[in-house]
Amino acid sequence: MIKYGLILALICIIASGLLACVNTLTKPLIIRQAQLEEEASLKAVFPQAETFQPIKKDETIIYYQALDKSGIRQGVVFKASGKGYSGVVEAMAGMFEDGTIAAIKVVAQNETPGLGSKITEARFLEQFSNKKDLSGIQAISGATISSRAVINAVKEKAAEIRGLIKNE
Amino acid sequence: MKKLLSEFFKGIIKENPTFVLALGLCPTLAVSVSVINGIGMGVAATFVLLGSNMIIALIKNFIPARIRIPCYIVVIATFVTIAELAMKAYSPILDRALGIYVPLIVVNCIVLGRAEAYACKNSLVNSFMDGLGMGVGFTLALILISGIREFLGAGTILGHTVVKGFEPVFVMGMPSGALLLIGLLLGFFNLAKRRN
Repeated sequence: MIKYGLILALICIIASGLLACVNTLTKPLIIRQAQLEEEASLKAVFPQAETFQPIKKDETIIYYQALDKSGIRQGVVFKASGKGYSGVVEAMAGMFEDGTIAAIKVVAQNETPGLGSKITEARFLEQFSNKKDLSGIQAISGATISSRAVINAVKEKAAEIRGLIKNE
Repeated sequence: MKKLLSEFFKGIIKENPTFVLALGLCPTLAVSVSVINGIGMGVAATFVLLGSNMIIALIKNFIPARIRIPCYIVVIATFVTIAELAMKAYSPILDRALGIYVPLIVVNCIVLGRAEAYACKNSLVNSFMDGLGMGVGFTLALILISGIREFLGAGTILGHTVVKGFEPVFVMGMPSGALLLIGLLLGFFNLAKRRN
């Protein structure tokens, strides 16, 4: 009986050693990929800005300051998430100083392919650009829940962030 | 040499994992929405199959029969984790598209099935050929299914529009459409076999 345990333990030790090596090799690459993706998303929702500066509270990023070439703040970028049809929908939005939305992008979603997944398409997302009041945005037909999830998440978070920057 | 080639080719047609053995249908239904997903899943599963078949063929005399299944699972899970980490590092888009189905290769019946039915009784080289054949057979089946689904469900192949103004068949984008399609293809292949 003990022999069985020892053999299994030996196999597990070899396997975990191997995985530790692979993990060490791939970890920096995975972190780099996440950073690249974050940067691309930030640029996509606030193309007017040059650099982005994260504003943190207790180690979690609340929003990013979007700065132009001379370091003057043009607006902010924030992430907003809400419950979609199947799981959480997460959007990133750029907002000018006056509270107008610059652009938004859906960064994570798991909605029905062909229906809810249309929230990632430009035709839906473009409606947000240069709007302050988001109540006029048309939901995608057949994907009302997914569309509402994006609209409401951005709307609520935008109001919250507006309050935050006003108090500074 | 002839034996080796037949070990390889049996996985593609005579013992195709999807259409003949009907193994691993769950990931097939879920990820075959687009050709690129099909290829990604096929390559990842082939890598795991090759690795696990070879290692299991190597250590088969060392593993006691009573604890073989946990031993196989540890070997398979190791290769799956390597594949997952590599995918995250080099192709995060594919990783996100395949999502939970990459870690679930651990419980893909093709991999454990080949370990139990083949690799634990055969030599290293034969097991390598068997794994490669099964992996290629699985990948080809996925490409066929996802090709039809992507064309009918979205009107594209590999993301390129093929026919302009084509109204997509919505059900083909859903797993239910995949189930219908796999059923039809299975029936077709059985018919072809009977005719022979």
